[in-house]
Amino acid sequence: MTPARAITLNALSLYAVALLLAAAFAAQLLLHELPCPLCLLQRVMFALLAIGPILNIRFGPRPSHYALSLLAAIVGAVVSTRQILLHILPGDPGYGTALSGYHYYTWALIGFVAAIVLLSAMLLFDRQFERDDKAPQIATGVFAHAAVLLVIAFTALNVVSALLECGFGACADNPVVYELLKRGA
Amino acid sequence: MEFTALFLAIAIVMLVAWRGSRSLALPLFAAVLIACVATYLHHATDTLKLSF
Repeated sequence: MTPARAITLNALSLYAVALLLAAAFAAQLLLHELPCPLCLLQRVMFALLAIGPILNIRFGPRPSHYALSLLAAIVGAVVSTRQILLHILPGDPGYGTALSGYHYYTWALIGFVAAIVLLSAMLLFDRQFERDDKAPQIATGVFAHAAVLLVIAFTALNVVSALLECGFGACADNPVVYELLKRGA
Repeated sequence: MEFTALFLAIAIVMLVAWRGSRSLALPLFAAVLIACVATYLHHATDTLKLSF
């Protein structure tokens, strides 16, 4: 796999992260369901996953960049597993509405495990890490630029959303109203 | 509040990774990851309200 192809795949992974963050936002806004603290932490870990691909696009593919994303995916998988276990008892309806039969935290675990597998698979391709000082620097196109900007934009939107939901105190365990809007009303 | 801070910190690390230096982005990433683990442990040690 050439470095250019690896960068294209990294850009695609950023679009996937943006899609996951957009899906979480859609559930929040369309279903009027506020994310719980562990749900927010899973969003945080998805956003943290994106830093490895951003570094790969900016500085070229390196194993250490993939390692950053692997660490984020492992912590994310632990967080989502914890939330699945919280709702594993028979009769527990789970938190929030199920999408295609699974709750957001179950989809999150699937996403984090898929990320671990895909990142490990990417690390198998050594040629992407070969550096040729004589070769011109890899030019990142509009496709990769747009992916980075999109994922930064969704992270910034989450800053606003979390601030509105939690206000300046600790987030409620089972939030039903936007704390900051309630205070303003 | 802690989640607002985490999202803000990640947005800053993303901008540093995209426009700044790699040597700054890596320790910032490590700091945010540690903060995430600490937040998780804070919530994971909450008492579970189970009724048997």
